[in-house]
Amino acid sequence: MAEIVLMRNFDRPDSHTLTAYRNASGYTAWTKAQTMEPAVLVDEVKKSNLRGLGGAGFPTGMKWSFIPKAHTGPVYLVVNADEGEPGTFKDRYLLEHDPHALIEGMLITARAIRSTLGFVYIRGEYVQPWRRFSAAVKEAYDAGLLGQGFEVVIHRGAGAYICGEETGLLSSLEGKKGWPKIKPPFPAIKGAFGQPTIVNNVETLCCVPPIIQHGAAWFAGLGTKTQGGTRMYSMSGRVKKPGVYEASVSITLRQLIEKAGGVSGTGRLKGVVPGGGSAAILTADEIDVTMDVDGLKNAGTMVGSAGVIVMDESVSIPEALFVLARFYAHESCGQCTPCRESTGWIEKMVHRILEGHGRKDDLDTILDVAKRGGGTTICAFYDGAIGPYISYIEKFRSEFEALCRA
Amino acid sequence: MPKLTIDGKEIEVEAGTNLIEAARRLGIDIPHYCYHPGLSIAGQCRLCMVDIEKTPRPTIACNTAAADGMVVHTQTDRVKDTRRSIMEFHLINHPLDCPVCDQAGECFLQIYYMQHGLYDPRMVDEKVHKPKAVPLGPHVILDAERCILCSRCVRFCDEITGTGELGIFSRGDHSEIGLFPGQDLENNYSANVVDICPVGALTDRDFRFQVRVWYLDTTPSICPGCARGCNIDVHVNRTRPHHAGGRRVARLKPRFNAAVNAWWICDLGRYGFDRVDDPERIRFARHEGVDVLRDEALGLLVAALRDHAPEEIGIIASPDLSNEDLFALRRLAEHRGIRQVAYGVPPATPAADDDFLLRADRHPNTRGAEAIGIEADAAPILARARAGGLKVLWVIQHDLTACGWLAGDVAEALGRVGTVVFTGTNDNGMSTLSPLVLPLAAWVERDGTFTNFLGRVQRLRAAVEPLGDALAPWDLFGRILYMLGGPAPLGRAELWFRELAKTVPAFASLTYQSIGSEGAMLAGAPPTTAPEPPGRRVKTPA
Amino acid sequence: MSGATPISNGPPAARAGHADPATTNRAEHAAPAPIKFSAEQLAEVRRLQGLYPDKRGALLPVLHMAQDTFGYISLETEAYVAGLFELPPAHVHEVVTFYTLYFQQPKGRHVIAVCHNLSCHLAGAQDILRHLETRLGIRRGETSEDGRVTLQAVECLCACEAAPMAQVDERYELNLTSEKCDRILQDLR
Repeated sequence: MAEIVLMRNFDRPDSHTLTAYRNASGYTAWTKAQTMEPAVLVDEVKKSNLRGLGGAGFPTGMKWSFIPKAHTGPVYLVVNADEGEPGTFKDRYLLEHDPHALIEGMLITARAIRSTLGFVYIRGEYVQPWRRFSAAVKEAYDAGLLGQGFEVVIHRGAGAYICGEETGLLSSLEGKKGWPKIKPPFPAIKGAFGQPTIVNNVETLCCVPPIIQHGAAWFAGLGTKTQGGTRMYSMSGRVKKPGVYEASVSITLRQLIEKAGGVSGTGRLKGVVPGGGSAAILTADEIDVTMDVDGLKNAGTMVGSAGVIVMDESVSIPEALFVLARFYAHESCGQCTPCRESTGWIEKMVHRILEGHGRKDDLDTILDVAKRGGGTTICAFYDGAIGPYISYIEKFRSEFEALCRA
Repeated sequence: MPKLTIDGKEIEVEAGTNLIEAARRLGIDIPHYCYHPGLSIAGQCRLCMVDIEKTPRPTIACNTAAADGMVVHTQTDRVKDTRRSIMEFHLINHPLDCPVCDQAGECFLQIYYMQHGLYDPRMVDEKVHKPKAVPLGPHVILDAERCILCSRCVRFCDEITGTGELGIFSRGDHSEIGLFPGQDLENNYSANVVDICPVGALTDRDFRFQVRVWYLDTTPSICPGCARGCNIDVHVNRTRPHHAGGRRVARLKPRFNAAVNAWWICDLGRYGFDRVDDPERIRFARHEGVDVLRDEALGLLVAALRDHAPEEIGIIASPDLSNEDLFALRRLAEHRGIRQVAYGVPPATPAADDDFLLRADRHPNTRGAEAIGIEADAAPILARARAGGLKVLWVIQHDLTACGWLAGDVAEALGRVGTVVFTGTNDNGMSTLSPLVLPLAAWVERDGTFTNFLGRVQRLRAAVEPLGDALAPWDLFGRILYMLGGPAPLGRAELWFRELAKTVPAFASLTYQSIGSEGAMLAGAPPTTAPEPPGRRVKTPA
Repeated sequence: MSGATPISNGPPAARAGHADPATTNRAEHAAPAPIKFSAEQLAEVRRLQGLYPDKRGALLPVLHMAQDTFGYISLETEAYVAGLFELPPAHVHEVVTFYTLYFQQPKGRHVIAVCHNLSCHLAGAQDILRHLETRLGIRRGETSEDGRVTLQAVECLCACEAAPMAQVDERYELNLTSEKCDRILQDLR
């Protein structure tokens, strides 16, 4: 009964080829879009309530409308395929199984924002997805879909989670370290190479052809009042059938876990990370929330990249926190002081707690440091880091206290 | 022009002014590290956060342009608490080096901690360790542990000198400032990074471990190294003579002047003060190699000037002398009818302008000498001496044995002159050859003015007392003039400047007050601005 | 374990992927053969540079090219690439030391990068790492003495549905077990 939009082509043989895509009505949305004015396209996407599926959940149509109307120079479309949020793997599936959906999404979006040049930033580790996508781009060029007013440049990353942050990605695209840019100016005003730029996630752009094909109202109707459509949830951790599952954004976390076969390990749920590693953890009695942007925001966490990591009773939460603390310390770009200094410090403290040398004050110190740093940094990386720092300790404090000396 | 309110005070500023500058004009200090008015905005340190009404979270002031109607608060509890947090973050991995760190006393971690921190430290884990005491070229030494990664030095090398030697390598709390391995920080402005480093990460090798900064007094002056006349502060150690090897001048720092050098100074100028406290300083007058009392030497010099015909006297002046010095000399020469006075002696190795501040002319007052009417080329004087036409040759400051003139010509000239007199600050080849030597006070020991190559007249100020019997040149010339029957000697440099302004039209509208601390232009000379840094010049496409 | 060549991707505590700071200040990693692209490669460099509004955008792709050609990115390589972009070498060094996929020292013929992030950790990534360390006789971050394999512990490779997993050279090896690891090692020459 559930509508499958994004994963509709995955089971077709050779789904990544142009032939297969065309056979599945691929590029008909693009044909339709070419009869629509850019402003109409933007409006349609606004009305669809499509929200960014990379992590921030920003309304996509609204973001597109930030391009200055009076700008006469180049406008760039940048695709964020630097998937890196722990627990997330949906974009990898799209790149490997339906690359033409992304290309079609790019074509329509480029027309909407009047861009003639698009960059696809693929994380360096994604070699197979890169080859698949490159082959699809070549097919599109050969078929005259690309190169007729819209060029695509594929740019491989070189290993840095921070390049998934939109302005960190832009810095990396420009040939520098992936240091996020101070805002203002915002990318829509001054982005890649100093020009107005729209950065969108792979999955977000894959929603565009269906929206244009079937209409904004249809897409909006698939979801909640404030977020339209379906999305691909990445289910991993202690679930029986890990994998990627598409569902309406109105699905609840409980329903999703069931979809993925239920809790494995002890079979008893302890906690769930609902939106990638940077999302605050939810306890077993907090899973009756809708997995849309606002539903999880109201529950004190976020849907982020929709990477769901399930933990059963046998999971040590302090150990889980250490794994993430180590991750954030490793991936902190180092540009601004609060993140650079405190991610390393917190990793050391959590490690010390795990080793049995935790002190009584450590937990409150970690909480205080995390809260003090939040909102003070150049980008939201640190705000993501404090999601686990704060929620794991606050919601599972006794488990941490047991490791700290009296 | 936007009008905004900061801490209840209203101010109108030019469009585009950031909040740190707007607040500064109201006398409000917003603490900051990475912001520097001469460099691009980095927004990295996060210390300059302020509360702006209608903005939910504190915002960095450096990257916020003043907007009409903006209401800013820099002293709310939330801002103070944020500053405390940011100070703590900066100090997490900072080594407790204060007892051995040269920056102590002028370190902005210390200063801001005392003003905005004052929390109990709670970091008990091992701090990140990085290289310490790494020389980065002849003038700068790096301690990577102390570095707060504000990136000012990196931006300086990119945007000012355009040489790009420095980078921030790696990431996270292992980030590190450094050079490309194997390279050196070799540009002629390298030590400016020491000035702009807010902490003791980049320090001056020359100043290392010399003297604590709280023993230093500061006096504004002008660099005498070339015709640019960069504004400086002279830092002297008066109270701890057993520190810094007894040097009185401990270091020079650039002083901001938007019309001349902005915030910068070249390394040549910055380190050009070692002659001041050199053992080779001439402290006492000498006759035939023996120290004599000043009055005796003066008497001998006056006699030489009085007892010979003016046509038989030649004076080689120096463009190192101030306007006051040169004008006094002119008066002296005029009084005695001596026409053979010139200032120009070619250097041993001709220099060139660099692409920023340094001028090929390594004298601070060539334009002043010109404006005062001293003849430029001293070659005719040398020729006359060689031809046997001079009985007295008075050389001021120049070392003729090490200049662009042929050594043989100089030797011949000196051999044929009856009385050779040398007045100068330091012993050199010339002073050893001159039977009569009188000491001059060095530039840090004198008040006066220099005129830079663009016609800007700027004030020197005495930072220390002259050594021994040395006199300021204007003082020496004034006394000689008096002993030759001229008017009573003037007691201050400023009085000579007034005479100069009364006599030479180019200086007519200038007074020490109007010159102030930023200088003023000669009549007819257009106002100046500091040159554009090489790093900012648009590179022409290949 | 003795004789194992430590590489820039050190143990997790030293931030996997980055050179020990003490070594970056010593210019001792000159490659034996001169670092130069062929004429075809230089043409490719120019082509890549032309794709971007500012040619600097091609720096990451060209560094990948350099690593594929010369095996790793030495300081000499950095200086060479800097010349191709008219960039100060320090800025190329910044980029090379920032990203984990650029090796600043010679690596093994094969690289096994085992994910040790959350889902893989829950699925037993530490066991996989320890197994590989034992089999290869090296610690994570090191290269085997015969130069065959460099072993790394890395952050999320985004294949969490098939945890534990690793990236072996260009491909993802999923649902690892000790046995599967042994089969993979056998096939690596």
